[in-house]
Amino acid sequence: MIALRNVTKKFARRIAVDDLSLTVQRGEVFGLLGHNGAGKSTAIGMMLGQVWPTRGEVMVCGHNVQSSRRAALMPVGAIFEAPAFYDYLSGWRNLEIFSAYTAPTSKARIREVIEWVGLTGREQSKVGTYSHGMRSRLALAQALLPRPELLILDEPSDGLDPEGIHEMRQTILRLQRELGLTLLLSSHLLNEVEQLCTRFAVLRQGVKVFEGSVAEVKSALGKVALKTPDFAAASRLLLARGLITAAAEDRFITLAAGRSTAEVAQALVAAGMDVQGIWQHEQTVEDFYLGLIRRPREEKQ
Amino acid sequence: MFLAQLKNELWKLFGKKRTYIGFGAFLLAQSLMLLAFKYTRWQGDFEKLLNGNGYLAAEFISVLTVSVVMLIPQIMLLMPLYATLIGGDLVAKEAEDGTLRMILLRPVSRLRLLFVKWMAGIIFAIVLVLMLGLTAMGFASLLFPWKGMFVFAPGQAFAVLSAQDGLVRFIFSLSFMAVNASVMVSVAFMFSCFNMKPSAATILALSLLFLSMVMENIPFFDRYDDWFITHHFKCWLLIFSDPAPWMQICQSEIVLFAVSATAFVIGAMAFQVRDIKS
Repeated sequence: MIALRNVTKKFARRIAVDDLSLTVQRGEVFGLLGHNGAGKSTAIGMMLGQVWPTRGEVMVCGHNVQSSRRAALMPVGAIFEAPAFYDYLSGWRNLEIFSAYTAPTSKARIREVIEWVGLTGREQSKVGTYSHGMRSRLALAQALLPRPELLILDEPSDGLDPEGIHEMRQTILRLQRELGLTLLLSSHLLNEVEQLCTRFAVLRQGVKVFEGSVAEVKSALGKVALKTPDFAAASRLLLARGLITAAAEDRFITLAAGRSTAEVAQALVAAGMDVQGIWQHEQTVEDFYLGLIRRPREEKQ
Repeated sequence: MFLAQLKNELWKLFGKKRTYIGFGAFLLAQSLMLLAFKYTRWQGDFEKLLNGNGYLAAEFISVLTVSVVMLIPQIMLLMPLYATLIGGDLVAKEAEDGTLRMILLRPVSRLRLLFVKWMAGIIFAIVLVLMLGLTAMGFASLLFPWKGMFVFAPGQAFAVLSAQDGLVRFIFSLSFMAVNASVMVSVAFMFSCFNMKPSAATILALSLLFLSMVMENIPFFDRYDDWFITHHFKCWLLIFSDPAPWMQICQSEIVLFAVSATAFVIGAMAFQVRDIKS
């Protein structure tokens, strides 16, 4: 559904996105993760034909966004972190305005979408009177109006309270489950990506430093947690015997090829050391992300 | 779809309170000027002028005469202000508010979007002038009779017209005023397409018009009058000359249409290459 090929965007001398290549397959929930200013919104802007790439090619739904913006965006809906509306007009009128720039939309369709997002009864009120949550629902309604196949969400939970964040996440899951949409969402909330996405990419200062599945990251093998009163002595022993290749953070060991946790436990007990616990450590997206982000800082130091 | 888009742009434009500032200001100015004309020395001086030139003042202090007297300062001072205020808002205010980014999520070309917005601005200009002309006549008819017309016309001291001839020319003058207002909207719209605040677009457009007016009035530039936009704005008064200089009027109207079109094209080119970011 989305393919970015060697895309670079420069604003004056600053490189916002550097040689980014990315693929989002139909039916995926894809996350774009990165710190503030990492280039997530710029990348999304390029996918939506709002920001012109300095170099490279952006394909959406099989069409080049730069040369065939209309065809590319026809089956696309999008929501921004702070959706803006014509506050002095009603929610209904706002939806009519947005749909007029897509394709003829029947009143029945507008009513259907309003019902889907749960705004029935408030559609004739001025948007200026809407709560933050209602504005988010209206934003979702405008995105769903053209019956999109692809939904792009730029920081959808930004500015929402915990209840609103929960509601937004449930809605995203519902969109995928009930409407079968392909979703791309950008976020700097790690647990959001972990909970919602099947695959994700990490941007750091405009550069993609990772692209893969959440399952891949979680099951990254080799890291084992070891709980013992003297971790330093235990790791020295295990290294000397060739059972592990590395020890870190006073609790993690990396098993040598072909070795098991049982062998490690046996070796320690045989050497008279207490083993309070030993288990395969399941890495969180947060651990993984922080590792990626911290790496260049450590390298610099 | 074009009509649906235009209808929605007009909803947006006429749904905003600030769109009505101009209408309100014109109504206030007209009522004040009407009272000033009726109850100060202004009317007396006018009558003396007419009598001194051998005309019976009572026959020419009429609805049409007073309407044009009220319109002259408003067209020169208020019209540019309110036309450029709306023109400057058309794109820049939406960019500032973030709604432009929302609209550009839709599969619409930037050129189409701009064209619809520009057309909405032109319709606003026409409505503003129509309202201005009709309310001027409406207010004047409350205090003055329907008789012949006396008007100061550029290039000649003054013109005296029958009521019927005066009305026809007044209607023509309104259409020329609408073209003037459209040019003002277009110039502000052009600046609005660049990456700037709406107030900056309005101020730049006003500055351009003001500069044109100042330069046009410097004797050194007399021979270059045709190069100044404001020189061509005088068409709406030229129509009251007897006989009306149609060739000169047509030339000026063509220049004004060309200025509007050029402003649109420059604005569209700037907008096309712009990055729309939050």
